[in-house]
Amino acid sequence: MADETSENFFNEFLDDYFAESEEHLAIVRNRLLSIEQFVGRSSVDSAHLDELFRSFHTLKGISAMVGLTPAEQLAHKMESYLGALREGRIALLPEGFEALIEGTRTLEQVIAAYRHNENFPDIKSSSDLIESLTGTPPERSATVPTKDMADELQPETSKAKKQWRFVFVPGPAHAAAGVNVNSVRSRLQSVGEIIRSTPLIQEGEIAFEFILVSETSEDELRRFEESGLTFSPLVESAPEPAVDKSVDAAESSAVTSLTSSAASASVRVDLMRLDQLMLFVSDLVVSKARLETQLKSMRGSISAKDWRGLQEINAALGKQLRDLRNGVMRVRMVPIGEIFERMRFVVRDLSRETGKTVVLEIKGADTEIDKFLVERLMDPLLHLVRNAISHGLEGEAERLAAGKSAAGHVRLRAQTAGEVVVIEISDDGRGIDIDEIAARNPHVQLFDADGKVDTSQLLKIISTPGFSTRDQVDRASGRGVGMDVVHQSITELEGTVSLETTRGEGTLFRITLPLTLAITDALIASVGGQMFALQQSAVNEVVEIDPKSIKIMENNEIVLYRNHVLPLVRLSNVFGYDRKESGTLYAFVVGSGARATALVVDKVLGLREVVVRSLNDPLLDISGIAGATELGDGRPILILDAMEILSVAARN
Amino acid sequence: MKAEQENRILIVDDSRTIRRMIAKSLENIHRTSFEEAANGLEAIERLVLGPVSLMVLDLNMPEMHGIEVLKFVRSRPAYKSMPVVVLTTRGDEVSQADALAAGASMYLTKPFSPQELESKVRQLLT
Repeated sequence: MADETSENFFNEFLDDYFAESEEHLAIVRNRLLSIEQFVGRSSVDSAHLDELFRSFHTLKGISAMVGLTPAEQLAHKMESYLGALREGRIALLPEGFEALIEGTRTLEQVIAAYRHNENFPDIKSSSDLIESLTGTPPERSATVPTKDMADELQPETSKAKKQWRFVFVPGPAHAAAGVNVNSVRSRLQSVGEIIRSTPLIQEGEIAFEFILVSETSEDELRRFEESGLTFSPLVESAPEPAVDKSVDAAESSAVTSLTSSAASASVRVDLMRLDQLMLFVSDLVVSKARLETQLKSMRGSISAKDWRGLQEINAALGKQLRDLRNGVMRVRMVPIGEIFERMRFVVRDLSRETGKTVVLEIKGADTEIDKFLVERLMDPLLHLVRNAISHGLEGEAERLAAGKSAAGHVRLRAQTAGEVVVIEISDDGRGIDIDEIAARNPHVQLFDADGKVDTSQLLKIISTPGFSTRDQVDRASGRGVGMDVVHQSITELEGTVSLETTRGEGTLFRITLPLTLAITDALIASVGGQMFALQQSAVNEVVEIDPKSIKIMENNEIVLYRNHVLPLVRLSNVFGYDRKESGTLYAFVVGSGARATALVVDKVLGLREVVVRSLNDPLLDISGIAGATELGDGRPILILDAMEILSVAARN
Repeated sequence: MKAEQENRILIVDDSRTIRRMIAKSLENIHRTSFEEAANGLEAIERLVLGPVSLMVLDLNMPEMHGIEVLKFVRSRPAYKSMPVVVLTTRGDEVSQADALAAGASMYLTKPFSPQELESKVRQLLT
């Protein structure tokens, strides 16, 4: 039916399609995990089945609309299977459950392939499997499947739980106050389970009836009366006619509490519009910097009073701009829990595949990160979690022998720290076998003078493309491919990865990411007459160094700093400028632990809010340069990538 | 003049994307505004809240099946003559005959052609 014109017509809805299918796939993954406990039992929780059925149904419908036939067909097969389960024609057996999981994965891949313009994966095996398990549907019945209500209105309920009949009469006054059938339903659901909701006619008016099973006391339930609902206990013989209460007096304070349901208080915004908004803010930041430069040049030519007035306005503008920037940034933030939840699914899969029992612990799921980052973090996290389970965690026997719990633990943690967000993926497995890695990489200095492991070197080795410590092909995590991709993706996001590992105790990967990419605080410095910027989040501190305290060790300059040896890297050397430093030196301390290094500059000019413009010319790749910015006088300056600079310096 | 009267079209579907697609398909119909509902109960509430000239109704929805909505709506004298376009996913269990028997004015399946939907709705509105 989708002829050429309608195809064009529906193209503008592709983003809606992807967003909605993502939501449904999330529901599906979640509900599949919930019904797993019913595998092999005679019946499956009907609420979960209903939700699954409906999600596949919607996926089928919207996929058909955008002409994504493989997704439509697969979703249809899954829906039919769930339909058969729901009607009790078949039982949920392990192979059926696996087929649902497999089908969901394939469906996800089809949609992802469509999104990225790639070839579709083959749906035939998933689809055939599901179909073979579904069996033949019975003769088409002419009636609409409706639930047998008599079954659900159980005459016997436990002592604490009671059945209540609520009646809500909708009307414009309620609607204006935000009280509607949806808000009433969700509020009732918060105090119990609604086993039936139907429209009915009450005194010539349309009303809605909800049958609620709840432990909540009658007194507690009475507060619903203030919102225009009437209620009465449900008597088995015949429902009492609801007392007709005047609903006019309903707009009391209780009404407002009904409106506070989260759903109605949020809006969906196209990410593109937010990007645009951020762009506007970025332009403002640049204009603000230009204003500042202009002001400075006027200083001598206006009176002190005028100057002060202008400065005050300028300062206020600066603060407001910062608030605006933070506000726009916050709008873009989404909880990281979205990705964490997806990992549950992965863990479940891998746990089956590897035969290891895995407990996934999630902390800080409500930590917010830029939506832009969410999409790009999925693959790196996925890989780290896979690695943790297939390489990190030992098998049960090995764990027990080592005096550990039989079940392995994988922990996902997220936390905001100032301008950065820190994400940790850890396991309590065997830890990385450093001796083996050292033996296989004899030319690499893996241990420092004290015999401690240089984790940044270790990370470097395992992030080498093609690295693997295992000889046998491991299906789950590939053959070591991936850590290089993790490293690359995180670096692209201006983030860093670090690693801690202890033999026999486990491994922890820590990802540190800037909260936002577009605008950042940067330290401005000059070297050889050129100005440079360095992201503030990359700098631990700014130090003064007395040239007399510098010692030379193996051709390297070092200083003793806080009882540690701090190597010096002179940026003038790195860039091949004449050395201009004289007297006290200024340096930025970057890197952590054994990798801490002082980057020596001529002068530190200050801290500025800068707009990062990436230099993404594919033909141009200068290591050590993260991007460029302008400070307001129109001249571009380069933003340095501290970590890269260190590598460049080491190579020279 | 009839053209001066505004058409209020109620779009009932649990998929946000489909609701937007339907509205887009019908946006060129003169003097038309849209109301949306994501489930059956909400659809009925919308009818109470204001006059509706035509309803586009999905069948398989949470809270109340479209056919139940249709039967309820047709049982009320006020909505006996309101045109209702049933727009259901192909392959669903409810046949065209069932939908028409329950009171549908028109039966279309998804994926739908926007042109076809528009012309059918125009027909029903005149």
